[in-house]
Amino acid sequence: MSTVDMAVDFAGMKLKNPINTASGTFGFGWQFQNFFDVSRLGAITTKGSAAEPWPGNPKPRMTEVRGGMMNSVGLQNPGVRGMVEESGEYLADLASKGTAVICQVAGHSTEEYVAALELFEELCPWASAFELNVSCPNIAAGGAACGSTPEGAAEVMRACRPITKRPLLVKMAPVRLPEIARALEAEGADGLTVINSIPGMAIDVHTRRSKLSKPTGGLSGPLLHPIAVRMVWEVCQAVDIPVCGVGGVMTGEDAAEFILAGASVVSVGMASFAEPDAASRILDELEAWAASQGVSHISELIGAFEC
Amino acid sequence: MPTPSPARIHDFTVVTNEPIAQDIYALRIAAPELARRLEPGQFLNLAVPGNAMSLLRIPLSFAAADPDEGTIDIWYAVVGEGTERLAQMQPGATSTVLGPGGHGWTVPEGCTRALLVAGGIGVPPVLCLARQLGAAGIPFDVCIGAATASALVGADAFKDAGAGAVLLATDDGSLGHYGFCTVPAEQLLRDADRHYDYVATCGPEPMMAKIAALAEEAAASCEASVERMMSCGFGACATCAVETVHGMKGACMCGPVFDAQEVVW
Ligand SMILES: Cc1cc2nc3c(=O)[nH]c(=O)nc-3n(C[C@H](O)[C@H](O)[C@H](O)COP(=O)(O)OP(=O)(O)OC[C@H]3O[C@@H](n4cnc5c(N)ncnc54)[C@H](O)[C@@H]3O)c2cc1C
Ligand SMILES: Cc1cc2nc3c(=O)[nH]c(=O)nc-3n(C[C@H](O)[C@H](O)[C@H](O)COP(=O)(O)O)c2cc1C
Ligand code: FES
Repeated sequence: MSTVDMAVDFAGMKLKNPINTASGTFGFGWQFQNFFDVSRLGAITTKGSAAEPWPGNPKPRMTEVRGGMMNSVGLQNPGVRGMVEESGEYLADLASKGTAVICQVAGHSTEEYVAALELFEELCPWASAFELNVSCPNIAAGGAACGSTPEGAAEVMRACRPITKRPLLVKMAPVRLPEIARALEAEGADGLTVINSIPGMAIDVHTRRSKLSKPTGGLSGPLLHPIAVRMVWEVCQAVDIPVCGVGGVMTGEDAAEFILAGASVVSVGMASFAEPDAASRILDELEAWAASQGVSHISELIGAFEC
Repeated sequence: MPTPSPARIHDFTVVTNEPIAQDIYALRIAAPELARRLEPGQFLNLAVPGNAMSLLRIPLSFAAADPDEGTIDIWYAVVGEGTERLAQMQPGATSTVLGPGGHGWTVPEGCTRALLVAGGIGVPPVLCLARQLGAAGIPFDVCIGAATASALVGADAFKDAGAGAVLLATDDGSLGHYGFCTVPAEQLLRDADRHYDYVATCGPEPMMAKIAALAEEAAASCEASVERMMSCGFGACATCAVETVHGMKGACMCGPVFDAQEVVW
């Protein structure tokens, strides 16, 4: 029996523990239900979904690299309506069991984020919070993400903020973090998820072609964990709103690093692919670590990093 | 809620792991519960130990499952770091396997004669189907293609499974027809005396596309086992998408076996 209270406050939500799942690596939750009791987790974050379905990119969409992987899924998603039809019942049930359901919102432009969020607000009464993925390529801006500048990120947040009273989080691209974080906080963001995958390249030197169907892809995995910890720490210095740490969490100790760097919540990403119950194991390991620190509440350890 | 994958994590022990052709190994694993649950055409996702920098499983088809012995036979080509690591696993070595993945072949009700076409390391799932057809007493013929004679596997196994004709083809002409196995397949499909109502294929995509077109011409239904780069194998990541006339479908959940006429080749 644990003696540590694992509950944390996050962006106006009370989570039973700090373990969340990274968008795009946990489907819509039900894919994992036969591997472990998903309602053990503090939260799950669903795959980014847009107002209309997106087909995503051509194959190949994935390549393994040392210490991680790269993907170019291109945010294939069933659209908000398709997502609700397919997974709404499961997610509503999960939310009723006390696991926060964070729905990720995708768009190619401010208008598309607004359209998607309006649909989510209307169709998902069970959603605990929404997360704007401002790293999607913005077609009008020549493919650069809306969230790659403080102005672009602030514009999306300003347009979306009036649509919902529920917590609005932003999934941040790994660029210009402290200044963009401050801009988002000023526009009323309730929390920040740091970081999205880092753009990378993998070239097949025999064919001289990309190993993905596009020149670049998003890098995930333990190879980026130290970068993500540093970025979480920098964002926590820059803003007062809470942060969810993401990037290469394979063990409870990896999660603990994010907590010590200042994150209130930690998401498990690609670790769930090879080991579908990784998030559950990482929760147990995090709890054991918190107990080893002699605290009664894990929240005492948030930002407890000493230089 | 849609039906989640039937896959679970199972422990396995290597029984044998030996080369059977040029850069092709036959691996037999013991995983009793899984061996009882597999349907021909489904796949497995193996964790192969030995490289802490490699974090994903390796998706592999199987050539046979013996529910009584609790063993599963896998034939794999050594093509890169992961399969090289797999080739290092010795009898007695243990790890875990996630499976069964996806759904397998659906032989049409009342099928009277089938044609099976396998290219390269596409043989295992087709061989598994051959054994099912043989056991059900459905006549079938087989075309196998490979780059060269020393890389061609399965000819004897298909005969043992009860195949009628087994036609071989090699890209370099070292065995059987000189060229692609789509040529003998086309001859069989156009032979008025052999009326096939079902064609099953696994191999390189251009080969499967050609076979799908030939089957359509011959008014036979056709299924194809499609490979994709897979990160999870149970529907959580969308890296395995296959373009179909009904939109993108995940190879790990809706496949790996697809109605070949549905796939946009
Ligand atoms: C459902 C399914 C069933 C499969 N069944 C078999 C089988 O029965 N026998 C067999 O030998 N192989 C099979 N494969 C392919 C096998 O998964 C790959 O060959 C293997 O993952 C390569 O790993 P590697 O690390 O050795 O090669 P890498 O170094 O990763 O790559 C070497 C080469 O193999 C290609 N490759 C890598 N992964 C895949 C993949 N998932 N699908 C297709 N090509 C790939 C790469 O593009 C590259 O050209 C199957 C794949 C799938 C998706
Ligand atoms: C296959 C795949 C799909 C992803 N899809 C999304 C997505 O839809 N939205 C998003 O914000 N991040 C997405 N990500 C990024 C992850 O949420 C996460 O930020 C990143 O993988 C780093 O965490 P990890 O190293 O623990 O995987 C995806 C990652 C992967 C591997
Ligand atoms: S491999 Fe992950 S969804 Fe198919």
